[in-house]
Amino acid sequence: MYKAIRSESFAAWAFMAPGLLFLAVFTFWPIIYGVPLSLTDYSVITETHFVGLDNFIRAFQDHNFLISLWNSLVYVLVVPVIQIISILMAILVNSRIPGVKMFRAAYYIPVVTSMVAVALIWSWLLGNNGVVNYLLLKVGILSEQVSWLSTSSTALYVLMFITMWKGLGYYMMLYLAGLQGIPADLYEAARVDGAGPLRLIIHVTLPLLRPHILFCTVISVMGAVRVFDEVYILTKGGPGTSTLTSSVYIFQKGLEQFNFGYASALGLIVSVMVAALSVLVFRLNRRGGVNTY
Amino acid sequence: MKKALRHLIIYVLLILLALFMMGPFLWLLSVSLMPGRNVFANPPAILPTFIAFDNYVQVWEFMDFPRYIINTVVITLLGVVFNIFLSCLTAYPLATFRFRGRNLVFTLLISTMIIPSATAMIVHYLTIQAFHLGNTFLGVVLPAAVSVFNIFLMRQTFLGIPTDIRDSGKMDGASEFRIFVQLVMPLVKPGVAVIGLLEVMAFWNNFLWPIVVLDDPQKYPLAAALTYLNGQFSYNFGWIAAGTMISVLPIIIVFLFTQKYYMEGIAGAIKG
Repeated sequence: MYKAIRSESFAAWAFMAPGLLFLAVFTFWPIIYGVPLSLTDYSVITETHFVGLDNFIRAFQDHNFLISLWNSLVYVLVVPVIQIISILMAILVNSRIPGVKMFRAAYYIPVVTSMVAVALIWSWLLGNNGVVNYLLLKVGILSEQVSWLSTSSTALYVLMFITMWKGLGYYMMLYLAGLQGIPADLYEAARVDGAGPLRLIIHVTLPLLRPHILFCTVISVMGAVRVFDEVYILTKGGPGTSTLTSSVYIFQKGLEQFNFGYASALGLIVSVMVAALSVLVFRLNRRGGVNTY
Repeated sequence: MKKALRHLIIYVLLILLALFMMGPFLWLLSVSLMPGRNVFANPPAILPTFIAFDNYVQVWEFMDFPRYIINTVVITLLGVVFNIFLSCLTAYPLATFRFRGRNLVFTLLISTMIIPSATAMIVHYLTIQAFHLGNTFLGVVLPAAVSVFNIFLMRQTFLGIPTDIRDSGKMDGASEFRIFVQLVMPLVKPGVAVIGLLEVMAFWNNFLWPIVVLDDPQKYPLAAALTYLNGQFSYNFGWIAAGTMISVLPIIIVFLFTQKYYMEGIAGAIKG
């Protein structure tokens, strides 16, 4: 019996070797190497010295870094919006009516489209004399045009809107899978007790979706803090620093200014922040929110 | 009667949402079909007044699209093959063998999902440079050649294979590897299909990492080349729109044809 495990061990490790090798180099190594890297001032151009915690001290005095942390936190506000809307969408497309599968696919198309294309389309729609301004003026919501992406007070929220638009289909699919796992008898039983549609959602659907809501919220928060593509393509952090998010700033410091040591330190701080936010989401899921049976 | 009303409301909501989600794409399509129109004219162009494919023909010739498409296909193919190969090989023992160190591997894998690295790209850049893979397609593909997510997804699939298969293979005297290749792998096609699809979409749409790794714009994949398109012809909206449609349509078509596997795959992944 022991011999069987031993020969299985050999086979097991033989199978896993190539994959683990790649993971070691491209998944474990970045996490590990980030630490010593952050304690140096490695920047390709100058000599490298060990600088201890200097980078971290500098980070908390770095005005732009602090602004980027704040912007990333503001970005997290998009998470509840996305989750609520995508849950409602999932409930909607869970209806068994002809043609619903077509609609599900349509809602997923923004998800499979490259962010480059999505950003381009919206930058045109939102530009001066663009379709959005035109429609809003015509309907009377605006009295004059707004430079959505070039105005510091609106740019970040517009980016959040684009992130939401592209992501709704993705979360809708995840929630739909969750919804389809809920046995119909539960709804029947509740209906027999006289529950209307709203109460059905609050007392049957949501509690049973709890694990999905937790999972989706955590990955959504992680995605929000580390948002990059749409910001980099559309505003690069501007105007000023109004849309400078943490990932963009780290990218600028690391891969544009080649300040690898400092950028690693910034990255570590952000990772800790993300981990803390994830823990917070786990806690909230247990205490507040909806009660489970 | 009440049921019909409910259905009507549902359809209205579905259609409104569809307009919201698909509207921008349809608008891009109509812009691409109108040569010479200004997207920022007043009133803005929404519906095409005439249809012409000039933009597509012109931007195709001017931009040397075939090259970018080939780049994208090569990168995507490499990426998909690596991922399927590596994630299957790595997931199989985790699902079927008992061996020393199994829990350790599990813990390590899960911990990487909890600790996201905000500086992964920076370290990857240094690693790729160290291996002298800068400005190569391999340099673009290797950092994403396998992912913990794919490994867990395949593991979930392998767990669904009955153990008798392996036992009967062993009784016939086959080696573990032969059992894996000839008996087990043919049974996990759905899982492989899902990974294939997810990776095709990820590699096809990836623009940032290729720009970081590749110095030569001639090697850019479509998404990266698109950013240049916008930079070079900022005022020829028709061309930009046509170019964007060309790069986006393949993925949409692939998605529409493979939806079924995709949805089933997501549902399966959720359970795992």
